[in-house]
Formats: sequence, C-alpha cells, structure tokens
Amino acid sequence: MIQFRQVTVNYGYVPGALKDINLQLHDGDFTLILGPTGSGKSTLVRLIYMDILPSTGVVTVNKWSSAHISYRQINLLRRNVGVVFQDFKLIENMSVFDNVALPLVIEGYRRNYIKKLVYVLLDEVNLLQSMNQRASTLSLGEKQRVAIARAMAKNPFVIIADEPTGNLDREASKNVLSLLERINRNGTSVIMTTHDYELIKDTPYKRIYMENGEVLPGDRTITIPKTRINLLKNQE
Amino acid sequence: MKFIFVLKQTFSNLWRERTPVVATILTICIALTILVALFEVSFVLYDQLRDLKSNMVIEIYLEPSTTDSQVKIIQNELEKYNTIERLRYISKETAAQIFNDEFGENIMDILDENPLPVSFEVRLLREFNHPEYLALFKTLVENIKGVDEVHYRHALIEKLENVTEAVAISGIFVLIILVFAMNLLIRNTIKLSVYAKRRQIDIMKILGAGNLLIRLPYILEGAIEGFIGGFLSAICLIFAHKFIAGYFPLMVIGASTYKILWVSTISFGIMIGLFTSTISVGRFVYKIFANK
Repeated sequence: MIQFRQVTVNYGYVPGALKDINLQLHDGDFTLILGPTGSGKSTLVRLIYMDILPSTGVVTVNKWSSAHISYRQINLLRRNVGVVFQDFKLIENMSVFDNVALPLVIEGYRRNYIKKLVYVLLDEVNLLQSMNQRASTLSLGEKQRVAIARAMAKNPFVIIADEPTGNLDREASKNVLSLLERINRNGTSVIMTTHDYELIKDTPYKRIYMENGEVLPGDRTITIPKTRINLLKNQE
Repeated sequence: MKFIFVLKQTFSNLWRERTPVVATILTICIALTILVALFEVSFVLYDQLRDLKSNMVIEIYLEPSTTDSQVKIIQNELEKYNTIERLRYISKETAAQIFNDEFGENIMDILDENPLPVSFEVRLLREFNHPEYLALFKTLVENIKGVDEVHYRHALIEKLENVTEAVAISGIFVLIILVFAMNLLIRNTIKLSVYAKRRQIDIMKILGAGNLLIRLPYILEGAIEGFIGGFLSAICLIFAHKFIAGYFPLMVIGASTYKILWVSTISFGIMIGLFTSTISVGRFVYKIFANK
C-alpha cells in the first residue's frame, strides 16, 4: 500500500510543486496518473521511490515512511520498486543483458541465477535475440521493453512507469501498455503517468487527474470524459 | 558477480580516461622517485655523519713543559667529565709510535729528537657528539692549566650536519609539493571519470545501489594508478642505483634493500592513490547529486 498524507513539495524557491496531496494506492491496482506537463505527475511518482522527500506531510510505501527513512533504507526500498522512465535510463554502452542484470548484480545474486532470470525476462519482452546487442543500437520501443524487463528483474511489488510512452510511436506505445497490463495481471501494482489520453481511453483502470500540483476531485475510477480530455490537451 | 562488476567498471574507467590516467601514473612515478631518492641521500648522509661522530676523537695536547704530576692532575680533571666514554693517555713515545705507524718514518731519524707533545685522546658519549657541546667541551678543557690545545674535526662535522639538515628540510618541502600535485592529479582523473559516468551513477542509485558499490570502482582506480606509479618508480630507482653505484660506492645497496625499495614505493603509491581517490569520489558523487 502506498499512502500520501498532506504531502507538499517545494522545489527550492518554487513552492507548490505538489500541494496537500492525500492519496491511497492499493496493492495490485493499475493506476493511471493523468495531467498536462508540469502538473506534478513526475514529482508524485518520484516521492514513491524517494528520489525526493516531501517538504511537508508523509509518504508511506509498504513499511517505509518518508518521515524517518535512512539513506540505507531508501536503497532497500528502491530494490523493491521497479521504475521505468520516458528516457529509458539505460546504460547505453552496456549490452541488453547487462542492463537487465544490473539490479540483480547490485543485489548480489549469483551469476547462474542472474543468467537464468535475465533469459526469462528478455523472453517475456521478446528481446532474447538482442541480448548481446548494445543498448544504444536498439529502437526506442525496444529500449523501453529492456527498461521494463530491468524493472521486473527483482520481482518488485510495484512498477512505476513515468511517461513510458512519451518517446514512442503508437504501435510501440500499445506494446508497452499491454506489457505493463500483463505484469499487473500477475499481481504487481503498476502506477503509470501519461498525458497520452488516446492510448488509455478505453482502459478500465483507476485514474488520478492532476493540475498545478493538485489532485483534482471527483470519481476517478470511470473513463475520462471527452470534455476533460480536450481541456487537458488544450492546456499542453 | 558484484566483484566482477566492480572490476569491469574500474578498468572501463581507466580505459575511458586513459590520457589523464597516464599523466597521473607518470606524476606518481616521478614524485615517488624524487621522494625516495631524497630519502636515500639523507639516509646515506646521516649514516656517514653518525659514523664520523661515533669515531670522532678529541685530541688534547699538553704544554711541553708539563710534568708527570701535572699530567696526573689534568687526567683527574678530565675523568670528572661523565660525558667522556673513553680517555687515553698518549705519552711522547706512544705519539712517536703512532707517527711511525701512520707515516712509515721514525721521527727520531728525521729530527734527532721527539717534538711530539704529551696528549690525551678523548671519545665522548654518542649523545654529546654535537657541535654545541663539542665547542663547550673545548673551551672548558682549554682552561685547564697545562693544556695547550684541543683539536677535533668540527668544521667537517658542522658542514655535514648542515647538509643533512638541508636535505631533510628540502625533502619535507618537496614531499609536501609532490603529495599536493599527486593529490590534484588523482582528484582530477577521478572527477573526469565520475562526470563521464554520472548518468550511470544516477541509474545505479535509482536501482538501489549502495554507496560502496558506486564508489568502489573509482577508489580502485586510484589504487591501481598508485600501484603502477609505484612500480615504475621502483624500476627507475633500481636503474638509477645501478648507474650511480659505479661513481659513488656509498650508494651500493644489497638484495634486501632492493626488496624494501619495491615494497615501499609500491605500497606508498597505493596508499596515496587510495587516500586521494576515496576522498575525491565521495566529494564528487555528492556534488553531482546535490546539484541535481
């Protein structure tokens, strides 16, 4: 369970990146965080893997609370959270295999175990044939699939996908979304930020709308009303 | 697997930043060579000084008119000094024998008489063999009635002491400058490596890598630079020894000293590398993420 209680984030002299956020995200859910650029979606998800800490309020992720988390515990938390980024954050000069294996190496697993698991993960994302290629030689869609495989490597309880389709074409975006849906069906929570309303319009998942650092009120389990989509699109 | 990963990262850093790495290794090599050479010169000089001091003899010549009873009084006076290790009376006959031993001629055959004065030969305890006490001792003994002259090789000792001191002081001065230069160069190399890999460090942090795993490749990088610098320095010093020993026999060293030379230069190189890289990597990794 992930909980935000009266969370505010201020970036230096710029106050109000997030304003008084109160949210509760349940295990096993697929949650979509929607809103225009600058609305605070990325800030919200960065709080989950404690890349930033709230200025006021408390974020609780399973047993870890931002109120009294140590540097060492942040590392432990991150080993239980998979993160996928818009810019993939792959190590370009490493092979696909090494990129996926990296979180397992950090954890200190044995070579044979890593090898077996990485094969399974790459097979899942349909990239087994490219495992010896350098990450820099892959297409954008393939890079994102590698990033998802890496995020899955340690069987995290939640995958945070921060604009995972932001750099991808329609076909690759659909592939990434269906991959995340498959992961979610296996019991892993997925939190995905996006402003690609077209991509998610027919999905039944919980939606959280954000604007100017605030969560907009209303029932967010229904699909987005057309007027809202147009409104948000116009604001971009 | 973690260990292999750290090694891979270390060698990849060394290869990626090879130009500054080579500069750093050469600086460590030159610095260590100069340092050890200075240390050795100081050591040889100090050794010579110690030998000279421990073998130094003060000669106290008595006036020609001194009678045997006066000699006895003077001897009693000298025996009161507890700074004296050994006191030897040299009669006119013994002095003539010494002359004969040293120059191979009998003084009686040359001059028909023995003009050599009666004297005492004094060796002081080692801790009193320094210029200040020697000067004081000379003044005190010269004031004893019947003593004509007091001699010792003070000019040579003072000169040698001054040179040893100057070498030691300049050695410390050079040491500070060289350690500072090594520190700057290693820091710069580590800084370049960290900046080149800041994206990778960022990714590893997001994946939950601990501080040690992130820093270890850079720390090892410094240690390897220090090791290679120390190794090259040992080779330079051994060649220099072999070359110089032909001209200065004092610089000839044995097999055990060669071992000490290898161990000391390499371990000093590694220590400098480790120390500087550990401090630098902490600072630069922190700086990058503080400014993010």
